[in-house]
Amino acid sequence: MHGFSEPFPLKPRLGDLLAVLLVAVLGVGVFLAFLPGSSQTPQTLEIYQDGQLLRRVSLTEDQTFVMEGAYKNTVEIRGGRVAIVESDCPGEDCVHSGWCNTPGQSIVCLPNRVELRILGTPQEGEVDGVSG
Amino acid sequence: MFRDKESFSGPRQIAAGAMLTALALALSYTERFIPLQLLIPLPGVKLGLANLITLFALYFWGAGQALGILVLRCFLGAVFGGGITGLLFSLTGGLLALGVMTLARRIRWLSIYGVSILGAAAHNIGQIAAAVLLMHSVYVAAYLPWLLLVSLLTGSLMAFCAAGCFRGLLSAGFRPTT
Repeated sequence: MHGFSEPFPLKPRLGDLLAVLLVAVLGVGVFLAFLPGSSQTPQTLEIYQDGQLLRRVSLTEDQTFVMEGAYKNTVEIRGGRVAIVESDCPGEDCVHSGWCNTPGQSIVCLPNRVELRILGTPQEGEVDGVSG
Repeated sequence: MFRDKESFSGPRQIAAGAMLTALALALSYTERFIPLQLLIPLPGVKLGLANLITLFALYFWGAGQALGILVLRCFLGAVFGGGITGLLFSLTGGLLALGVMTLARRIRWLSIYGVSILGAAAHNIGQIAAAVLLMHSVYVAAYLPWLLLVSLLTGSLMAFCAAGCFRGLLSAGFRPTT
């Protein structure tokens, strides 16, 4: 058509589907690995900054507090869910994460090195069962 | 411009590399103003416009030149506002993506679409790996499935754009030097 042969394939090939499949399988694998147990109900929130666990708070008590650091994240807990409702960090990815209440899920503010991790209520003796 | 191997060396190579670096820098800066995160509210979601330059350098000039442009772009990006954290993220993502695309380009049954998709996915994996190290938490990786899903779309879109550019360049007489 153009009077030249393409030195490399520029049109989609059937083999590209394998690349898509590889990425999809990887995605589903990671998704399943992080799928929270269905027996857990969210009750506790662990607050990390710089990888350190600062404190645990209950998701059943409505409250609002501010995470200080390089930036300020306003964290709100309401009706068993948690969100970063306001932040002065660039991008505000944490705010866009919205309201979360699934165990295993976390809200992350990378610029402020903050992670809010939602925990489920472990079944009685579950932790000891693993360690012992 | 560079129609044979002999003409692409020394000063010409440096000048062309510098132009492409500037273009990559401009593209990655422009990208910040495209509100893709309003559509897909995930950290790290972007079109990957600068990857067009990496793809071009890789396909027409080879992995070495692509690596030089990538590293320069990441460092200059940090100087112009990305900061050290930004540098860590763009370098880990970019280097892994370039490594994967260099290998994928050699696979004959993959077109530029497969190469670009694998590169976009590798970029996200690299960035999540950097985030896991930075946050000391594997839970950040819970974002990865969604980022990989988005990378299928952005990777295909960038391949479509690159294929259009490459066809134009080829029909204008531009030939790969590798």
